[in-house]
Amino acid sequence: MKKEQKKIEFNPDRRKFLKSVAFLGGAAALSQTGCALVRTGLGPRGQYSEYHLNEPDHQIHSVCLQCHTGCPIRVKIQDGVAVKIDGNPYSPQTMVVHLPYNTPLKVGSKVDGGICPKGQAGIQSLYDPYRVVKVLKRAGKRGENKWQVISFDQAINEIVNGGKLFAHVPGEENRVVPGLKDLYKLRDPKLAKQMAGDAKAVAQGKMSVAAFKQKYARNLDVLIDPDHPDFGPINNQFIFVAGRIEHGRKEFAKRWMKGGFGSINWWEHTTICEQSHHIAFARVTDQYNKGKWSGGKDHMKPDLRHSKFIIFFGTGFAEANFGPPVMSALATDNLIHRGLKFAVVDPRLSKTAGKAWKWLPVKPGGDGALAYGMIRWMLENRAYDERYLRNANKAAAHQDNETTWTNATWLVKIEPDGPGALLRASEIGLGGKDQFVAVHNGRPAAVEPNGKTPVEGDLFYEGTIHGIRVKTAFKLLYDYAMSRSLAEWAEASGIPVQDIIEVAREFASHGKQSVAELYRGPVQHTNGYYNGQAIITLNLLVGNADWKGGLMVGGGHWHEDGSKPGQPFPVTKGLHPGKLTAFGHKLTREKSYYEQSTLFREKGYPAKRPWFPHTGNVYQEIIPSVADGYPYPVKVMFLHKGTPAFAAPGAHKAIETLVDVEKLPLFFACDIVIGETSMYADYLFPDLAIWERWGTPHQTPIAATRGSKVRQPAVESKVEKVTVFGEEMHVCMETIMLAIAEKLGLPGYGENGFGPGMPFKRMEDFYLKMVANIAAGDKPGDAVPDANAEELDIFRKARAHLSKAVFDEAKWRRAVVDASGTDWWKKVVYVLNRGGRYEDYQKYQESGDKVPHKFGKMFNLYVESVALTHHSYTGKRFSGLAVVEPPKAYDGSVVDDTDFPLRLITHKDILGGQSRTLPTDYWLSTIKSENTIWINPRTARELGLKKNDVVRLISATNPDGLWDLKNGQKIPMEGKIYLTEGIRPGTVTVSWHFGHWAYGANDVLVDGQHVEGDPRRRKGLCPNAAMRLDPALKNVCLQDLIGGSASFYDTRVRLVKVGHAEPVSIEV
Amino acid sequence: MEVIQEKTQNGSAASEVDVHRREFLKKLGSGVFASLLMPILFKDNFAALADEALAQVDLPELPEPSPEEDPLVRMMRDLQRALKKPLEQRKWTMVIDLRKCVGCHACTVSCIAENKLPPGVMYRPVIEEEVGEYPNVHRRFIPRPCMQCENPPCTPVCPVNATYKRPDGVVVIDYNRCIGCRYCLTACPYNARTFDWGEYYTEDVGFLGLQPYEQVDTMEYGLDWKRPEGRSPVGNARKCHFCLHRIEKGLLPMCVVSCIGRATFFGDANDPDSLVSELIAQPNVMRLKEELGTRPKVYYLM
Repeated sequence: MKKEQKKIEFNPDRRKFLKSVAFLGGAAALSQTGCALVRTGLGPRGQYSEYHLNEPDHQIHSVCLQCHTGCPIRVKIQDGVAVKIDGNPYSPQTMVVHLPYNTPLKVGSKVDGGICPKGQAGIQSLYDPYRVVKVLKRAGKRGENKWQVISFDQAINEIVNGGKLFAHVPGEENRVVPGLKDLYKLRDPKLAKQMAGDAKAVAQGKMSVAAFKQKYARNLDVLIDPDHPDFGPINNQFIFVAGRIEHGRKEFAKRWMKGGFGSINWWEHTTICEQSHHIAFARVTDQYNKGKWSGGKDHMKPDLRHSKFIIFFGTGFAEANFGPPVMSALATDNLIHRGLKFAVVDPRLSKTAGKAWKWLPVKPGGDGALAYGMIRWMLENRAYDERYLRNANKAAAHQDNETTWTNATWLVKIEPDGPGALLRASEIGLGGKDQFVAVHNGRPAAVEPNGKTPVEGDLFYEGTIHGIRVKTAFKLLYDYAMSRSLAEWAEASGIPVQDIIEVAREFASHGKQSVAELYRGPVQHTNGYYNGQAIITLNLLVGNADWKGGLMVGGGHWHEDGSKPGQPFPVTKGLHPGKLTAFGHKLTREKSYYEQSTLFREKGYPAKRPWFPHTGNVYQEIIPSVADGYPYPVKVMFLHKGTPAFAAPGAHKAIETLVDVEKLPLFFACDIVIGETSMYADYLFPDLAIWERWGTPHQTPIAATRGSKVRQPAVESKVEKVTVFGEEMHVCMETIMLAIAEKLGLPGYGENGFGPGMPFKRMEDFYLKMVANIAAGDKPGDAVPDANAEELDIFRKARAHLSKAVFDEAKWRRAVVDASGTDWWKKVVYVLNRGGRYEDYQKYQESGDKVPHKFGKMFNLYVESVALTHHSYTGKRFSGLAVVEPPKAYDGSVVDDTDFPLRLITHKDILGGQSRTLPTDYWLSTIKSENTIWINPRTARELGLKKNDVVRLISATNPDGLWDLKNGQKIPMEGKIYLTEGIRPGTVTVSWHFGHWAYGANDVLVDGQHVEGDPRRRKGLCPNAAMRLDPALKNVCLQDLIGGSASFYDTRVRLVKVGHAEPVSIEV
Repeated sequence: MEVIQEKTQNGSAASEVDVHRREFLKKLGSGVFASLLMPILFKDNFAALADEALAQVDLPELPEPSPEEDPLVRMMRDLQRALKKPLEQRKWTMVIDLRKCVGCHACTVSCIAENKLPPGVMYRPVIEEEVGEYPNVHRRFIPRPCMQCENPPCTPVCPVNATYKRPDGVVVIDYNRCIGCRYCLTACPYNARTFDWGEYYTEDVGFLGLQPYEQVDTMEYGLDWKRPEGRSPVGNARKCHFCLHRIEKGLLPMCVVSCIGRATFFGDANDPDSLVSELIAQPNVMRLKEELGTRPKVYYLM
C-alpha cells in the first residue's frame, strides 16, 4: 500500500475504529454482530492467549461459494467474528482421504482440510466494507448511482402495489409502474393446472386456439395473449433472474416463483458458464423411456485417484473447473505416487498445462477437430475397445464385466438430408416400436436396451433393410472421422499430426484408466455442444465409464427435496398447499420446440429469435428477449446474485435495455453490494452473504463417495433485521420472497404453509426440513445417528454469538417435527455439526475394480433426439453425431472477421471467480492486483507492441472498445499487454475478475452523502463488451443453438495501442 | 524510526517485557491458567518454564489410524511424537514438493488469515516462473516461507536481541523487544521478513469502514496481540514462525493444512519415522541458496 507516505500511528485515539457511514449501518453494525472487541485497558502487550479456533464450539461447518465447487468449509469464530476458513475434514472435497463420518467432533475439530485461496478469502467477501446493509431505492435515473435508504416494508409495498413510484425522478413524474399484484392474475390452482394442459395441447397443435378461447372464455384475462395461450398467464411477465444460485436457494426460489406466484420464468446463469458441456453429457447419457429420451447425467468426471492418463480439454485441476482443492490434491497424489500422465488442450498455458506431459495449444474452438484427429487414429489403428462397443444392450455388457454400453451398433436411418432416426424393430417386422436394431453376423436383431437377452452387434454394418437405408452409429462415426485426413484434422485443430498421434496412442494405451475430461474451454463456442460430444466420444471408444480411474458420475447425494421413500418432508412436491402450475413457453424459449408453438404455425421459419429445445437457463438471451418483447413483453424483473450486464458476452447491450423503463417497467435486485447490474435496479435489497445463510449445494462428481453438503449461518449479518410473518429476520432473498408472499397471500406460506400446523414463516422452516431429509437418507433405515448430549451442547455453544433472528433453537426444532409427529432434531444436529452428510471413504476402498456409484446405463454414440431437432432459423436438422463447424451466427452464416487479426479468449485465475472475489478480496488482490492481455512475443513483435504497452480491445461489433454505461460514463476496455510464451500466437487472453465499474469501484450518492469508490477495485479490464454480437440478432452474443452456451471464444479483435505503463509486478 | 523513539523515550521496551514476564509467572504459579498452557515461546522465559508448560499441553485425540489416510493426519501423528519430546530434541522442518505445488497461493492467503497479517506483510509468498519457449513451456511455482536457517543471518544483526533461534530451530521475533529498525529485513537473503506499517485493508473504505476481522486479536507466539491499539506487532519486523502457536497445540502450520496440492510437509527431522525425514532423504531434495551456508530447514523436492 502507500507505505512511504503513511506515518506509523501509535495513538489509539486517532484510529478510526468505527469509521463508517451511518446511514448504511456501519457504526451500528459492530454492536450488532455482538463481537466483543476489547479496545480498552491497555494491559501488557502480548497477553497470554488461548487458541480456541480448533475447539468444536468455535467452529461451524458450512459450504463455500466463492466459486461453484462449493467446498465444505469450517468457519472458525473468534469473539463472534469469522476469522479463519478451512476445509471440512468430514468431506471428500477437502481431503485426499476424508475422516469417517462418525468421528467425534472433538477429534474432527482438530483436523483441518485444505481449501483454495478464494475460499480462504471468503472472510473478506463476508466483511466487505461495501456491503449493502439497508434497502435502497433509486433517487435518480437508472444507473445514475443515486440512492435513498428506505424501509424494507416501504419497498415491499411499492413493489407489490406499483403506482407512480418514481415521481421524484425527472422524466418519470407520471410514469405508473405496474406492481406484482397486477401480474399475479392467475391464482386458482385448479384452473392453472387445467389451462396448462390445454395450452400445451394448443402449442402442439392438438387443440385449436379457438377451442381454447371458447373453453376459457371467462378466464382469458389471465393470459398474456389469448391468441397465444402457449405464452401462458400474465404471471409470466414477472421474471426471476439469478446468477450464482445453488441447490437450497434454487428450490426455495422455484417454489415461490413457480408454485407460489405462478410464473414459469426462473433462470440461473448456466449458459454463460459451461452449459453445453452439461447438455452434451446429458444427451449422450439420455435413456429411452416410453418413447422419449430423458434422464441423462449432465456431469461426469475422471476418477482422478486411479486414472493413468487424462487429457484435459479447456480445463485442468489447478484453476476453475469443479474444482481445484480436491482435484489438485488427487491429481498431485496420483502424479507422484501412481504415475499419472496428463495432457492439456488449451490455447493458454494454464497452471495445469504448465505441469503437463504435453501442452496442446489448440486453436480456439478446434477441440472437436483435435478429438476427431485422435478418433481417426484410434479407428485406423483399432485402438478402441471393440468388445465393449459391440455390446448393444445391458445384458451383453454384463457378460463382459461392463456396467455400461453404447448404441454404437444400433442402426441409424439414412435420410436424404442426412442420418436421421434410429431404426425401430417394428419398422422391419422384428419387434416393438420401443426396440432398436443391431446386426449380428449379418442378421438384424431387435435390441431392448435393458432387456434380458444379450445382443451384440457388428460395428461397421451398412446396408438396406426392408428398403430402408441404414448404417450403424459406429460406421457413421468412422465415416466422419475418415472424411478428413489426419493432416486436415491437424490443420483444423492447430495441433501437429505427430502430437495428435502421440496423445491418441497414450490415450488408447491406458484403456479404462484413460479419460478425456472437459469443462468450459471447448464448449463456450457456437459449436460447443458438438465439441463436447466429440470429446465424450473419446471416452466411449475406450469404454472407461464406471471403472476405477475411468469416467464416473461421482458419489452423488442424499436427496434433500424429500422425494425419496422414508424422507419426512417432501418440500418441493408434496408440502405445498394451493400450489400453482406455472405454464407457457419461457421467455427464452428453452425446453420448447419452435415447431410446437402457435408462433410457428403463424410464421414458420425463421423464428425471430432462437428456440432452445435441448437446453435451459439460457442466460444471455433473457435481457435481449426483454428488449424484443419476444415472444412476449416483460413487466417486472427480480435479479438475484447475478450480473447479466457484466458477466455475459456482449453484456453492454443489456445495459441499453436495463435503462429503458418502457421495456422493463420495474426492476428490483438483491445483492450483497451495489453491483454492475444491480446498480440499474429501481430497488436494491441487501442479501445475506454465503457465510450467513443456508443452502444444500450438490457435490462435485469428482468425489467418488456420496455427500450432501449443508450451508448454514456461521455468523450474524450486519444486514438490517425486519419483521415478516411476525418473525424477525435479516433482509435477504428469502426474506423478500416471504414478505411478498405475505403481502400477496401466495399459496404455501404463513401459518399453514407446509400444511395444517406446519408454518412456513422463517427460512429455517424450509431449509431445516431439507436437512432432515438428508438426515433421513434415501430409504428407510438409512438415517444418521442422533446427536448425543455432548454434541447437542457443542451445537448450542458454537451458536452462542447468533441472535434469535438467526438461531432460535425452539423454532428450529419445531421446523423438523414431521406430519406424523416424529422429531428429527437430534439427527438434524448430527448433520449440521458436520456441515452435511458424507459417505465413508471405505465405500470406495471396498468397491473393487469399479467406482462405488455407477452410471450403469447406455451411452448414445449417436444422439437421436438432437438429430431430429430443427434449427429454428434454417429449419434444417442438427446432427446426431458430433460435427466440426466454424463459428456461426443465428442465421447459419459463418462469422469470420478476418480484418481483425487476433482471436480473443478468456481464462479464470485460481485467485478469482468470474465476477466476484478479485479484486475486492484484498488478500487476493495483493497477489494479483490487475489483469492483463496475454500475448505471445512473436505476435506482439508482428504488431509492433512492446512489454507493458497499454492497448484497447476493439472488435467488429465494438469498434470503439467501450462499455457504454448509459449514465454518461464510458469505460474503455484497456489493459497492459503481458508477453508470455504461454499463449498460442495469434490468440490473446484476458482473465476474468477485473474491470469493475461498480461493486465498490465507483462513487455513489446515498441520501445525499458521497461515498467514494475504492481504486483497488477499479483495476484491469473486462473483455465482454468486445465479444462478437450475432449479426442476425444484433443485441446478443453468438450462441450455441443446441447446448445454449454463450460464445466467449469466437471473437476476433484488434489491439490498439493507447499508452505505455510502469512494469507489472507479477503476473499470475 | 518513530517506533524506536517511542519505545526508548518511555524506556518501556525492557520494563514492559518484565511486567509481562511477571504476569506470566504469576499466572503459572496460580495454577488457574494451567490448563491453558503451552510452551513459553520467548527466550528468557523459555528455559525455566518449557518443561513445566509442556506437561500441561493436551495433545488432541486423533482419528483411528488407517492404512490409507490423508497425509495431513499422518503428519499430525508425527507432530504428537515430537511434542512428547523435550523442545531441544525437536527439529521442526518443512518440505515443499515443487512437483506437487499447483501455484494456487492458498498457503499465502491462509497464512495471512491465520496470522491476521496487514497490507505489506506476507510470510509465505509463492513465486511463479515461466520456463521455455512456445510451445515447449512449463510453469514452476516456488512457495517461499522463512527458511528457519540453522545459521540465520538475520539474528546477529538485531541490536536488541529481539530475534533469535529457539532450541527447536524456529527463528522467532520477540515483538516486545523489537524496535522496528528493520536491519533483519535487509540481512535475510530470502527476503522472508516484512515490516508491519500499521495499515489495514479496509480502513476508511466503503460504507462500513474498518472491518472486524482486522480488529480481533492476533495470536502469534501463543500471545494475544491487539494491533488496533497501535502497539506490537505494529512497528515490528514480522516473519513466518511455522505457526508455533498451532504446532504446540498439536496442529499443523496453516500453510501445510491449506495446501490443495498437498505439496507442503511438516514435522520433526529428528524423528526417523516422520514423513519429513522420509522426504528429505530423497535424491531430488535441495535447499535454496545453500552456498550461503545458512542451512535452511525448509527443503524442496524437485
